[in-house]
Amino acid sequence: MDELLADFVAETREMLEQSGSELVAWEADPSDKARIDTIFRFVHTVKGNCGFFDFPRLEKLSHAAEDALAECRAGRREPDSALVTAVLAIIDRISEMTDSIEAGEELGEDGDDDLIAALDQRSELEVQSDLEVVEEAEVASVPEDEKVSHKAPRQGVQRSIRLPVDLLDEVMKGVSDMVLARNDLARRLREAGEQPTIDGPFERLSAILADVRTSITRMRMQRLEHLFSSLPRLVRDLSNELGKQVMVDFEGGEVELDREMIEMVRDPLTHIIRNAIDHGIETPAARLKNNKREIGLLKFAARQSGNQISLVITDDGGGINLDKLCDKAIANGLYSKSEIDKMSDNQKQNLIFEPGLSTAEAVSSVSGRGVGMDVVRANIERVGGSIEVASKVGEGTSFHLQLPLTLSIIAALTVGSGDQRYALPRSYVEEIVFGSSSHVEFAQAGDRHLVTFREKRVPCLSLAEVLGCQDKSNLRWEDQTLVMVRLASEDVFALAVDRVFDHEDVVVKPIAPAIMNTRLYAGTTLLDDGRPMMLMDLPSIAQMRGMVGGVRTKATAIERESQERVTKAVPVMLFAGLDGRHRAVRLELVRRIETISSEAIDIEGERAQAVIDGEIFTLAGHDVGPLPDGRIRLLRLSDAENELVYAVREVLDAADVTEDVVPSEADTAIEGVTLIGGKPIPLLDGHAVFSKYRATRKVEQALTCRIPTHSEWAKTILEPLVAAAGYRIAAEDEEVEADLAIALAEEAESPLCSARQIIRLRPDPDDAGDDSIYRYDRDGLLAALKRIRTGRAA
Amino acid sequence: MNELLLMCTIAGRRAAISASHVQSVIEIEAITPIPGTPDFILGLTALRSQALTVIDCSLALGLGTPSQSEDRRAAVVEVDGHLYALLVDNAHDVGEATSDPVAVPGGFGENWQRASTGMVETDGGPTLLVEIHQLVSGPLQQAA
Repeated sequence: MDELLADFVAETREMLEQSGSELVAWEADPSDKARIDTIFRFVHTVKGNCGFFDFPRLEKLSHAAEDALAECRAGRREPDSALVTAVLAIIDRISEMTDSIEAGEELGEDGDDDLIAALDQRSELEVQSDLEVVEEAEVASVPEDEKVSHKAPRQGVQRSIRLPVDLLDEVMKGVSDMVLARNDLARRLREAGEQPTIDGPFERLSAILADVRTSITRMRMQRLEHLFSSLPRLVRDLSNELGKQVMVDFEGGEVELDREMIEMVRDPLTHIIRNAIDHGIETPAARLKNNKREIGLLKFAARQSGNQISLVITDDGGGINLDKLCDKAIANGLYSKSEIDKMSDNQKQNLIFEPGLSTAEAVSSVSGRGVGMDVVRANIERVGGSIEVASKVGEGTSFHLQLPLTLSIIAALTVGSGDQRYALPRSYVEEIVFGSSSHVEFAQAGDRHLVTFREKRVPCLSLAEVLGCQDKSNLRWEDQTLVMVRLASEDVFALAVDRVFDHEDVVVKPIAPAIMNTRLYAGTTLLDDGRPMMLMDLPSIAQMRGMVGGVRTKATAIERESQERVTKAVPVMLFAGLDGRHRAVRLELVRRIETISSEAIDIEGERAQAVIDGEIFTLAGHDVGPLPDGRIRLLRLSDAENELVYAVREVLDAADVTEDVVPSEADTAIEGVTLIGGKPIPLLDGHAVFSKYRATRKVEQALTCRIPTHSEWAKTILEPLVAAAGYRIAAEDEEVEADLAIALAEEAESPLCSARQIIRLRPDPDDAGDDSIYRYDRDGLLAALKRIRTGRAA
Repeated sequence: MNELLLMCTIAGRRAAISASHVQSVIEIEAITPIPGTPDFILGLTALRSQALTVIDCSLALGLGTPSQSEDRRAAVVEVDGHLYALLVDNAHDVGEATSDPVAVPGGFGENWQRASTGMVETDGGPTLLVEIHQLVSGPLQQAA
């Protein structure tokens, strides 16, 4: 709701409450001048306030009451009980309307004529009925009842009070400190060990505190309407100035955002609007020519998702002219022609965030001076948000803003350098890479260290060196963990830290100006153990170190889409063999781990076999040490066709082999030796194992297939066909994932269990274009079954 | 003039800070250093879940020698909404000045002159009144 309107409602209600007792007193003695004055002031104020708002009903009512009372005050009219009743009825109606206004309801059509007529001296008309009057008098005399009786049917009316914002901030700060104090206490309690008598109440305290914190955060929230309400005027002024016609549309004004955050996005938003009206939306004539409505539309839509607010600003203008944008970028020397050619459309669109670009042909008074979107982006990112653009030529442009709910709590990555911890704002962190991993390569050009990562050379900074703690000459880059930092400008650099600890949400507090002057830090926060930790100011560091802009940037613009890590890491399972030595086996080979009784193992000479669930498997790995008594652990290995079991003493862990595997000539049973956790571990050679212990058991080749159980057609016609194609029909109650399921297209969502592949059958021969197969297309169906079968076996 | 003063020793000299600014006197335990800051900022310390910026008063005055303190006493003050712990050689007592602050012909020495509002007479003898705003901004700010 509009702030002014809220004030009006609050003021009216305050006065209503105050005048409650006056009304009763007046009723007792209608000639009491002092009472009349008070009530006169009330209706007068309401009438005056109505002038600012468009409430004709309210104005008319209060005006009528004012007139009648003015007559009494002037002595031209003797107040009598009929007048009192009429005025009370009006005041009561005003109260009702105030509630409606606050709830955002329509006030409805005129219905007040009878009330106003009742004020008329000469009127014989009785005010409705006596019953009504009595009730109204009661209402006026018992304000609490009024709330109850009027509140109950009218939901959404919230009682509100006005508070100074400073007080809210004070309370918020107090609660933040309380949270920190709680953390401190929690740590001390942990140190003191378990104390049931204290732990219980402490848990309760923590829960309450968490609730209070949520409420307080909500207290600071403001509806986006607040921000929106100032925009129509801005849009109107701008469009008038530029000779365009623009309509604004808002959606999601009820979404709430931290008050501070609203202030932070006000300027960027204004800028986007300027751009949209100036560059985006065409003149009415041009729009008509392009078969568009002559009035342009600027739409704002806000949504909350988790602890983020997404705000989309869309215009239906001409869109971003990519060619013009690229030409400009080349003309300004930002990029070369070849670089532009290599860019995707999306990347080209993002050029508008480059400093020094503007597509407006003429510099208008509003925009086009080439300062703008880069600043907008920087500002949004500074508060931990992000902005993206999507545009279609001729159809319009939309900007997607993602904003965090609050400023004071940010998501951070805690890292270690030296023996200190530091926090990095997570919004900048693209990726974390270990310096030791095989796909990271270090290089040096002059004194600049570079890291080659995903085939791009990225400049490297060492946190220790940035902080001046360590000379980079004796830094071992390979031992460092690299945090890939992507700045607002799309520049990427690597920040080398000793360790990465954790992701945490931290409460950021401002730091003293003398520390701010270093331009290294953005704030401070407290760790759980009460020690302070500094939050690094990454954009500022990048700026100081020349990581932003310049010729170098293009080389480092790593495509954001390629998020998945290129890695050579081979997953293995670590185990201790029967001789107690640690070995590893490729995880892909291991089908499962079995535990069987040692009685189920039969060894005779060269032949060794184990029985699992009634099936006989070749046993391997038994010859290196004695079989333990009782239960024995087996790794069931499979090469996709054959299976065997490998006896182990203990299954240790799963690990990734990132180091090279050094082959061993001497031992043919192993693929080689590799380093896992710094220790040499022999890696079992799957090939050797399977060839040596000639595996006997064939993997059951029949793939399972689920067919619709409730369809007669499926049972009698489909089932034999599928079975003939080499599939085993899965039982209805079979829990495991089937290889294939056949579904009937006419049943929208058949209650299928899990299946790796699904074939849909449609009842009519016409191609539905959804990859389904006509149910009597025998060849098509068989081909599909065969394709899946061979695909699985391969 | 009977303003209350916190009597302390800074770089071996008697000094005083207006007690109305001082929230408390603490003994600093652990200091988290902040790399990249000027010398006089020793780092951060936590007091009741709040981070205080620890200032070495001697270095902040530009006297060159760090504060020599056995029990690492510091006065907690708030300047412009930020909390600081002013580390002094020693913090004594709260006392009253028996005179108004006066300037002394010839000054108190270059570094002291900058941060001091004058000399007051106290029970313990003449004492320099030190301005906390000057302490927290350090010697560099003055030069600029």
